[in-house]
Amino acid sequence: MSRTKTIRTDYLARVEGEGGMLVRMRDDVVTEVKLRIYEPPRFFEGFLRGREFREAPDITARICGICPVAYQTSACLAMESLADVELEGQLRSLRRLLYCGEWIESHTLHVFMLHAPDFLGVPSAVELAKLDPQLVETALRLKKVGNEVMRVVGGREVHPINVRVGGWYKAPTRAQLDALVPDLEWALAASREAVRVVAALEFPELEQDYLLAALVDGDEYPIDRGSHVTTSRGSSFPVAEFLDHVVEHHVEHSNALHATLDGDSYLVGPIARYALHRQHLSPVALAAADEVGLEPVVRNPFRSIIVRAVELVYACEEALRLIAAYEQPAEPAVAVAPRAGLGHGASEAPRGILYHRYRLDDLGTILDAKIIPPTSQNQRSIEEDLHAFVSAHARLPEEELRLRCEQAIRNYDPCISCATHFLRLEVERT
Amino acid sequence: MKACVTCVGNALRGDDAAGLAVLSLLEGTLDDDVVVLGCEGEPVALLDAWADCETAIVVDATRSGAEPGTVRRIPAHEARLPDELTRASTHVLGVGEAVELARALGKLPPRTIVYGIEGSSFDTGAPLTPEVAAAAEVVAAAIRSELEQART
Repeated sequence: MSRTKTIRTDYLARVEGEGGMLVRMRDDVVTEVKLRIYEPPRFFEGFLRGREFREAPDITARICGICPVAYQTSACLAMESLADVELEGQLRSLRRLLYCGEWIESHTLHVFMLHAPDFLGVPSAVELAKLDPQLVETALRLKKVGNEVMRVVGGREVHPINVRVGGWYKAPTRAQLDALVPDLEWALAASREAVRVVAALEFPELEQDYLLAALVDGDEYPIDRGSHVTTSRGSSFPVAEFLDHVVEHHVEHSNALHATLDGDSYLVGPIARYALHRQHLSPVALAAADEVGLEPVVRNPFRSIIVRAVELVYACEEALRLIAAYEQPAEPAVAVAPRAGLGHGASEAPRGILYHRYRLDDLGTILDAKIIPPTSQNQRSIEEDLHAFVSAHARLPEEELRLRCEQAIRNYDPCISCATHFLRLEVERT
Repeated sequence: MKACVTCVGNALRGDDAAGLAVLSLLEGTLDDDVVVLGCEGEPVALLDAWADCETAIVVDATRSGAEPGTVRRIPAHEARLPDELTRASTHVLGVGEAVELARALGKLPPRTIVYGIEGSSFDTGAPLTPEVAAAAEVVAAAIRSELEQART
């Protein structure tokens, strides 16, 4: 005799945006997992058509309030690639520094305020603040440090206004950046401690054999640019060939697109970057990972919280390194002339590779735009995680199973504002 | 008296700009010791603005299903904000979360008043609706008298 049971929750809190997840089971065997995205597509690719190429960074920044720098940067890179311009020296260092600010801000928000409550058995950051006020105080201060970097370099902390194709409207002074150093030094120590704290959490069992993909930027840990994409299969291709490998699919149950890499589901973001570029981490970040015994390739997605914390250490240390070497450039930007053709750009948003491609005419008018955010690249992996997790834990009490599924989704920090929006969970047992 | 008025909103999302409309009505009209802030980013930043404040006033748009333009005045220092005001914000952690975080951390100013202005259109690029524009005038006047009372 088959049993029928349905569990519903209101939309999941602590994920950007809104949407839903459906898990169907028949006699404890998972038959179907679907991510359903409710919010209508935002049509940004359509908004961009007919606009001047220099407008792309400011328009696309509005796609997401958490990772505007990623959007601005990928848009700038695409436009600059068309004109054969590559930012160098301090102009480029500032771009990386701004991006470090975003990583600090975004990773802090996710690690402490969104994901940690799952592990500690509390429903929200507010409850966490009652349980462990010191932890939340630390998180708020860390987040503020990231915001401050973004304010000083980008002009303001949300949707920075100082970014332009070819560089900046105004370069910060050495003194302005030096003023950030004490807070960043505190943040470096605090984030190192954060690695210890999250590594001591209890992790649900789940091992997945992911195909991992991350950008390659010489011998640097990839953040603000990348020439190639590299994968855990050892394959590699130039960013300009991204769409020859990554294909987006419409799926019936969602109005966000699902992407595959050479036909397979894959994973981008902290776990992928760390596995493919561990050797490029800074000394303190690497020591922090080693100290807690973080495996070189993380296959348990719940342990992504530790990787995020290690990347938080890295972003603080890298920001300090960039500031120490900073000299205010004579000009805040280089000229970027419009040129007809296709421009490609990709950077590592906190959640993973963010790819932009634009087709321009010879006046610099955008004829066509394509944006592939990290969350749409990860959606199949999220579904596969849930399929595996629910299959292995189908006998858990309903409420615990539901909470663990939500936690499994939050492993991806799914900023669904980037891939339209997220999230509500239903488990149907038949 | 240290007082802080924070007006939260998103200028590009229709009635979500209600708080910013109040901000433009208040700017330049209050005493020098009152800090007036616009907040288009994250309300979590409110926690910093509230440090050492005796009186904090926050204005934001609400979407609770009430009549458009409805003004709610909530003494947040007395009790938890109603659930319908602590979610569905376009801000990352909303005003509700900021208030409750501050309360949990013992950082909520002794007198914290939240004004909510019920919006009806939150569409991208939409203008403020007339009901909300009118309500912004009411709230700006209420805040002025609120601050005067706090002073006496």
